[in-house]
Amino acid sequence: MLSALKIEWLKVKNYRTFWILLGITLISIPGINYMFYDIMDNSFPKGRNGQNPLLGSPFAFPDVWNTVTWNASLLFIIPALLIITVTTNEFTFKTHRQNVIDGWSRQLFISVKLIEILMLSILCTLVIILTALGFGLIGNKLGPGVTIGQGSRMAFFYFVEILSYSMIAFFISILIRRSGLSIGVFFIYMLAEQIVVGLFRNKYHMKWENYLPEEVTDMLLPVPYAKAVFQRNAAEWNQHIPIYLAVAALYLIIYCVFTSRRFVKTDL
Amino acid sequence: MSNILSIQNITKFYGHIRALHEVSFDVPPGSVFGVLGPNGSGKTTLLGIIMDVLRATSGTYSWFGEPPSERQRQKIGTLLETPNFYHYLSGERNLHISAAIKGRGKDDIGRVLEVVKLTERKDSRFSTYSLGMKQRLAIASCLLGNPSVLVFDEPTNGLDPVGIAYTRELIRDLAKEGKTIVLASHLLDEVEKVCTHVAILQKGQLLMAGDVNVVLTNEDFVELGAQDLERLRTTLTGLRGVRQLKDLNGYLQLVFEKDALMELGEINKYCFDQGVVLNHLQLRKKSLESKFMELTK
Repeated sequence: MLSALKIEWLKVKNYRTFWILLGITLISIPGINYMFYDIMDNSFPKGRNGQNPLLGSPFAFPDVWNTVTWNASLLFIIPALLIITVTTNEFTFKTHRQNVIDGWSRQLFISVKLIEILMLSILCTLVIILTALGFGLIGNKLGPGVTIGQGSRMAFFYFVEILSYSMIAFFISILIRRSGLSIGVFFIYMLAEQIVVGLFRNKYHMKWENYLPEEVTDMLLPVPYAKAVFQRNAAEWNQHIPIYLAVAALYLIIYCVFTSRRFVKTDL
Repeated sequence: MSNILSIQNITKFYGHIRALHEVSFDVPPGSVFGVLGPNGSGKTTLLGIIMDVLRATSGTYSWFGEPPSERQRQKIGTLLETPNFYHYLSGERNLHISAAIKGRGKDDIGRVLEVVKLTERKDSRFSTYSLGMKQRLAIASCLLGNPSVLVFDEPTNGLDPVGIAYTRELIRDLAKEGKTIVLASHLLDEVEKVCTHVAILQKGQLLMAGDVNVVLTNEDFVELGAQDLERLRTTLTGLRGVRQLKDLNGYLQLVFEKDALMELGEINKYCFDQGVVLNHLQLRKKSLESKFMELTK
């Protein structure tokens, strides 16, 4: 597997588009957070304690973990684009066939791509951790009884969410094989699911839509602003976390099995 | 030594369309095995199946007497359909990837680039290569590690006449080194010049397979010429075992019944005894092209 990863490295080492998309992915994490931080700092009136009474202190510990991860989750389309580009390139150039002809097993081809997705998710999570620490430590004093690690489980939830979105992008790429169409379907799916969620939650007050593939991981990261409004059911949310994680894990297993089966069983 | 490749009853359906129907043949070691057929006859599908990029609907195959595996494919140099490389990488970097997948070192890359005359353009991006250069790079990739078995699907596609002649020469040289070569082509002239064995496919059906000399046996004919062609014709009509006698470019073409072919000396003596002096006498093999046309019409 290590030698297969080295070969994947040879594929992307000199691929400019890969580095540009990866750069944007990683820079966008602190970037979008700085944008929100700047808006918070300059656009909302502050009370005597230096905080906006409604918004609170989203960039101070422990809330910074929730804030930074939620902000970054708005840009999951960028790593998804990276995954779709790298995967569909193989089909465009027919190198997926050549790799197998030259001596890779079909399962190895798919497994090494899955590991790449895992590595990208870990890398983004590391940047999230650094970003949260950066915003939390710079200009914010720790409150009484608050530790740096408090609330840091949000970084893990972010990891689960980016992994899920990336796997959906990968699944679509393997299924459709064409770059433009895969990006289009990914966008449409994201929108369609949000429309379904909005419709059933707001109109019919149902809960099953919380367990749809994207929404179930979205549920892990609640809106960090105006917590009195958006996190008024925090206790109930907390109770549901193991279920959300279990369902997200189930979806991940399904994506892995389906992509592998699709690639291993069909004509290339 | 067992066969290099053994194909047993391979059938392939694309939806309702049957691309291959119970195709079976063996490729002996050291042979140059031509897989012939018109466009759409199933040549590429067959090679795709034995290289594991297509799934057979039924049937099996084995490489080196063993069930197929990726380790075996690493030992085979294959050019299937079109050259498949990363467009954004240079020729040399693409070969690094191929060599790494095949489990070979980088040491051989310089040699194979030299063989296909691409050393000067090794640092250029693959996307900037001409069709012929792409094809040559694919051949270079096949030669990495000096494999004992090569599979070529239309290797002269996109090449200019010099490239075609060069590739044909290369295949001959590889055959002389004792390598086993499976060569799919619809260019019969190309196959006839280099192959020791052939399999002929049409609409997914195997029409014939085996040693070129066996496939074309009993298809030899004799070409004769004399001052008086009419008298020669009358004389030859009395010869035993004659199946067909026809005019061809100022000569007579004599085809015998199966197993009735006479020695040229015997024919010469017979004509001389009948008072006809031959000024042309030659044994000719039926060309692969005419055999192919006959089988596939």
